[in-house]
Amino acid sequence: MQANVLIVLFAVLLVILTVYPMYSVIRSSLTVGRMEAMRYNTLYHTKLSADDFTLLNYRELLTNVSTFWKPLWNSLRMSAYASLIAIVLGGTVAFLITRTDIRAKKFFSSVFIFPYIMPSWTLALVWKNVFANSRVGTGVVGMLESLTGICVPSWVVYGIFPCALVMGIHYAPFAYILIGGTLRNMDANLEEAATILQAGRGRILRRITIPIVMPALFSTVLLVFSSTMASYAVPVFVGSPGNFFVLSTQLTSLYNTMATKGQAFVMTIVLILFGVMLLGINLWFTGKRKSFTTVTGKSGQVSYIRLGRANTVISAVLAVLLFLIAIFPIISFALESMVEVQGNYATLTLKYWLSREDIGGFAVNAGKGILFNGMIWSALWGSIKLSLIVSLIVGTGGILIGYAVARKRGTRLAGLVSGLAFFPYLVPSMAFGAIFLAVSTRLTFLRGTLLLLVIVGSIKYLPFASRSGTNSMMQLSGEIEEAAVIVGASWPKRMLRILFPIQKSSFISGYLLPFISCMRELSLFILLTTSGTLITTLLSYFDEKAVTQMSNGINLLIVIIVLLVNFTTNKLTGASIDKGVGGN
Amino acid sequence: MPSIVLTHVTKQWGKFIGVNDLNLEIEDGAFVTLLGSSGCGKTTTLRMIAGLETPTRGEIRFDDKIMFSSDKNINIPPARREVGFLFQNYALWPHMTVTQNIAFGLETLKWKKPDITARVKEMLDIMRIGPFADRYPAELSGGQQQRVAIARTLAPKPRVLFMDEPLSNLDAKLRGEMRTELKRLHKDTGSTFVYVTHDQLEAMTLSTRICMMNEGVLQQYAPPLEVYNRPANLFVADFVGNPSMNLIDATAKQTAPDEAEISFLGQRAVFRGNEPFRLPADSAVLGIRPEFLPITPDGGLEGQAYSTLPAGMETTVKIKLGGAILSAVVFGAIDYETDAAIRFSVAGDGILLFDRASGQRVASGSVLLPARKG
Repeated sequence: MQANVLIVLFAVLLVILTVYPMYSVIRSSLTVGRMEAMRYNTLYHTKLSADDFTLLNYRELLTNVSTFWKPLWNSLRMSAYASLIAIVLGGTVAFLITRTDIRAKKFFSSVFIFPYIMPSWTLALVWKNVFANSRVGTGVVGMLESLTGICVPSWVVYGIFPCALVMGIHYAPFAYILIGGTLRNMDANLEEAATILQAGRGRILRRITIPIVMPALFSTVLLVFSSTMASYAVPVFVGSPGNFFVLSTQLTSLYNTMATKGQAFVMTIVLILFGVMLLGINLWFTGKRKSFTTVTGKSGQVSYIRLGRANTVISAVLAVLLFLIAIFPIISFALESMVEVQGNYATLTLKYWLSREDIGGFAVNAGKGILFNGMIWSALWGSIKLSLIVSLIVGTGGILIGYAVARKRGTRLAGLVSGLAFFPYLVPSMAFGAIFLAVSTRLTFLRGTLLLLVIVGSIKYLPFASRSGTNSMMQLSGEIEEAAVIVGASWPKRMLRILFPIQKSSFISGYLLPFISCMRELSLFILLTTSGTLITTLLSYFDEKAVTQMSNGINLLIVIIVLLVNFTTNKLTGASIDKGVGGN
Repeated sequence: MPSIVLTHVTKQWGKFIGVNDLNLEIEDGAFVTLLGSSGCGKTTTLRMIAGLETPTRGEIRFDDKIMFSSDKNINIPPARREVGFLFQNYALWPHMTVTQNIAFGLETLKWKKPDITARVKEMLDIMRIGPFADRYPAELSGGQQQRVAIARTLAPKPRVLFMDEPLSNLDAKLRGEMRTELKRLHKDTGSTFVYVTHDQLEAMTLSTRICMMNEGVLQQYAPPLEVYNRPANLFVADFVGNPSMNLIDATAKQTAPDEAEISFLGQRAVFRGNEPFRLPADSAVLGIRPEFLPITPDGGLEGQAYSTLPAGMETTVKIKLGGAILSAVVFGAIDYETDAAIRFSVAGDGILLFDRASGQRVASGSVLLPARKG
């Protein structure tokens, strides 16, 4: 009964929340604003006025090599490299941890997640902090130059190389969670059966293990590729200064110019089409006749590959790598927020944290030290408030969708709801922001409000929450609930007293992931709000204005808060990020 | 053809002992069943023989070739033991078709292409799965998957075949059919089969020898009928047979080398052993198979019908006597009124006497009830 109501409710809600924005963005791409009309009229001798229907936006954008085709090519290359790096790095770590007797597994496993929990631009900033040098770009001196005097060439500091590398490392934990989860769930008997048939390690890996984790590899590629296509912060930090432009950065600049707004929406549609295409490939691939459902039976302990003498070496290499990508960034932010002159560690000062006076010396008014800076505190509070509301909505929505879908499984409506709930996953954050910007230009009461941010955040993070909610609800047999129905327990009571406690940790993970994602989100919100509203937009503002001490300090704040929330939740409830994205 | 010899094999996980000091010799061509309830160490034993698990101590030999020895630090990997292994959940590779699954092992052994094709065809025919050759495992029923798994295991012609509860995922009817086929397969291939099960009927009907285990310790290693008729101890007596053996507390006093006076459930009787025996103590347990309690109008015992379970071919009658409930089996279908009086006796020379303290079987023989009064 409740399941029927819920499924209809969500079907209607999701249709409105996906169809209307899509309509809105398509419409915006086909019409012109006042400034655009004027430009087209002079360029093409048309007689357009505001809101007129035209295909000129498409023609303009799709014939422009420097604003469209080249950035598109850059985006594709960057995303492909990033996927490759994420798969190789994450897959190797997943294999080492699930299949070999490498040391300190628990430690590696929890620290390796850091780069994903931290904002994606974190590593980009670190990259800049370390490799920037006097011969490149603005000539700021980085850590490497100041300590050793080495100046790395420009392509190392800015461009596709750092962009792809940083994105790849950021999403490697994701590959690790997805691939590692499959490896862990995979029936050990499947590999043992091949061992008995006298197949060697390499052959088993090639013929049995890799084909079976293929779907996980594929979803990782899908996710990393589309996320990288959409990422904005990283290319802005380490791409644009080297004249490396991608679709997402172009989208913002098109959008910020009144006379090219329409083209920004065309580009949004292009980004969405890419998402849909990637999902299509994924569906085609997994929909083939081979079913990869792993029959779980009595699988004995996996016999770990003995690394032998190599163990110490491999463990040490991994430890160093993890230090560089997970621990070093935190140290770097702390240092950079405490130096007067960048790169000169003789000028250490706590001024940027503790000053009760306004800090002068910048093109903008940076305000007081971080701990006493009203602007920073209000932006931080704004982010926390937004993240809390969004995670409550998304987490609860995910559980309810999971409940409704699991109870009505097999029905067309259930398919529709789980499909629509997945849709936002395909739409790049940047495009998502643009879509809702289009919506807010029509529904003006939403413009610039917290409500708009809440709506956008809630829809954007729904896919993971609904996926983890559905997974955990599917694991509960209907009989568990029916046993409570028989004794006359009401629906809320059944949810709160029976279903929730049983799957507590995975439900709480469904709340944790949106909170963390929202806390560190930039590209989704940057179009929709002013720089002082959220801590991330403020960070981006300070970075743009070259107030590096403040931007590094704020970054440190975000990283610490996010890690703290993750670890306390993990310790208190057993919930974790990996459960939130569907790993085990 | 190898015989498999285990000497002092022990497997320990931390403080938990999975298998304790196991000595076992599996003859060439035998069909040996490792029988026991879950957690008794039977699967661990099988996996150790196959090389999938490493024993903590002991030695495993195939003929004279040492496969594992903790003393000599030898551990031949499973791939080089040249055995077949049939997993409980079949472990078919989901991304390969039936043909590819069966051919995999042969390709690994570097067979020639035509030979592989021929052998796969042969296996498909033997297991009657030819029509499914190009399907993926997910598209097969449980019974078909089972056949594919057997085909895959047998394709490289292993000399020893290990099976870990291969029939437990099938429904009752299919299980019956597969039992028949496994026994046939054993004869046809002439290979050594080592089979793990918790189903005593499966063990009884299939094997040439049963290895009965409990909590990691070997209880009895003997042909099925000996296990059934002369169980080594109370555990084996209770585990094997359905309905299970009536185990009745009794006191016994030895009166002659092959005779004892016993009293049980308020009855007095004489136990006459088939051969001389020695009772270590007075307190004993009398073991009577249900088929040795015939229901006859002139039987020396009288009880009440507690409940009757007719199964068609035979009927299990639960009889209440002196506070205990005994099982008797009668051929054909009978139905007794609840609490109706039933006369029955104790027949045959297959009655067992156990020492209660140690649980060991002391003697087998017959029970002579005093002549019926009036």
